[in-house]
Amino acid sequence: MTWKRLEAYLYVLPSLLLVSLFIYWPLVFSMFLSTQDWNLVSPRPEFVGIDNFAELARDADFHDVVKNTFFYIAILTPLQVLLPLGMALLMWPIRKSRPYKIYRIILFLPVIVPFSASSVAWLWMYNPTAAGIFNQILSSLGVTEQTWLRDPDLAIWCIIAISVWRVIGVNFTIYMSALVSVPDDYVEASALDGASALQAMLRIRLPLISPTLFFVLITTVIFVSEEIFTAISILTDGGPFGRTSNVLWFLFERGFRFFRVGEASAIAIFVFVVMVFLTWLQFRYVEKRVHYD
Amino acid sequence: MIEGYRSTLQRSENTVKRQPQVTNLYVWCLHGFSLLLCLVMVFPLLWLVSTAFKLPEEVFARTLQMFPSQPTLQNFSDALNAYPVDRWLANSVFVAVAITLGKLMVSLPAAFVLARWRFRGRQLLFAMIVGTMIVPYIVTIVPNFILVSNLRWMNSVWGVIIPMTAFVGFNIFFLRQAMLTLPQDLFDAAAVDGANTWTMLTRIAIPLVRPSIVVVSVLSFILAWDLYLWPLLILGDTDSKTLSVGLQYFAVNQPAGEQAWGPLMAAALISMLPPLVIYLLAQRQIISAYVISGIKG
Repeated sequence: MTWKRLEAYLYVLPSLLLVSLFIYWPLVFSMFLSTQDWNLVSPRPEFVGIDNFAELARDADFHDVVKNTFFYIAILTPLQVLLPLGMALLMWPIRKSRPYKIYRIILFLPVIVPFSASSVAWLWMYNPTAAGIFNQILSSLGVTEQTWLRDPDLAIWCIIAISVWRVIGVNFTIYMSALVSVPDDYVEASALDGASALQAMLRIRLPLISPTLFFVLITTVIFVSEEIFTAISILTDGGPFGRTSNVLWFLFERGFRFFRVGEASAIAIFVFVVMVFLTWLQFRYVEKRVHYD
Repeated sequence: MIEGYRSTLQRSENTVKRQPQVTNLYVWCLHGFSLLLCLVMVFPLLWLVSTAFKLPEEVFARTLQMFPSQPTLQNFSDALNAYPVDRWLANSVFVAVAITLGKLMVSLPAAFVLARWRFRGRQLLFAMIVGTMIVPYIVTIVPNFILVSNLRWMNSVWGVIIPMTAFVGFNIFFLRQAMLTLPQDLFDAAAVDGANTWTMLTRIAIPLVRPSIVVVSVLSFILAWDLYLWPLLILGDTDSKTLSVGLQYFAVNQPAGEQAWGPLMAAALISMLPPLVIYLLAQRQIISAYVISGIKG
């Protein structure tokens, strides 16, 4: 081995060590742990084969949590992907105006503010007494006050609201910068053919940014479950009656409140497999319809 | 003939110019819509700030009151008396700065050789490092928790800093991308002058990719500041917490009967200031970091 090659490896070594020790090794170790029964305290884990997975398959709480997780994904994905697209299309004609710069700064703010800070702010707004701002608004409109996060049917929508609030500005910004990067030649050419501004947007710019739509779709589906953890933790602690708990929250409870390490690892592996599958599915079926200029 | 062509071109330019003209009323409506949207989006933050400066009796007033009538700093001193918010702030700063610097220190040399050198295993190494971006964080927490507790890093900021520095996939990807665009001549010339690899990295590559370094640094900082689940697991002692998990502790352990919303909002305000200041200073870089990475926070 030449010195130059050795030197190259040395330069990559620190990052390679870090990712191996804290990302790849845990991935492998999770697979091992998912076949063990262990509570972190007893001297050594005990091999139980696929019992942890079988247990989960029978566990009614886990079923509820998987249902909740898909509910979150099913509601949040369209909201987080399409709402910002609507915003981008509406604000497109005024993108060169002076106030637009301020709009953009404000719409992006929620993702910059630490999620725990905004979560406690929303916790305060959702206050179930008459002091909560949402209840004040309701009562000034003459509507009955709500208990928000303590209402088993409403609580999940409260989490959904804060999650939408946090993410739409980022996706809006991604769409806007993609729309701006479409070469004007195409649009001008269509104008020569008599296309209206609306037609140019819907028939030319929008299809040309379909890779961006695809990117936003994938990242949204992948991030949704992790992203709402902070909100669940601060706003509802998974409750009421587990109604707002998603799969990551469930893993956190099983692993770090009940110290059922094997079971928590089985959940992690389950999620990993589902995520890989979802990503593959999206690439397989959605990417074909995507237009890369 | 050229004249004729030119006039057609001019005419077409006129049509193109006329095209995007939108009626005034429509534009006003769009501004109205945007303004309303911005108000809705910024409202929770305004409410946070306003509560932080309100006197207790105003906090619990049952009338809609947007702004404090007598702004007070009382809530800030109450927050500090109730919990070690200053300690949390110091921990947050230390953790976020250490993760940002740590990520830079490991990613710059790696990005450099992966971009500029050809050696066996280069593709594989690059794929391995960037591939970590798609490994969900959730599969790493249980084993890393065990590892950190075996290393006796519980309740220590290092238990947060070291494992979180490992998420360098995006940094290396982005910095390598920037270093790929540098002209080879620079490095050839430096080699003729007898410069070694370290000199090439620190004297040529790093100064030239400074804008990209700013992008990954501000993103690393904001994400590190926002870390929640990991510190929640590692930093159990009250004094060891960062602001993110300190706020949760504060919110959950409000003394019953007298809910401390004012002081809680004051602490939340403190925690949102550093990323906010960075955002206002490096707005363009932050926006491009989010647009490219697809990270949703």
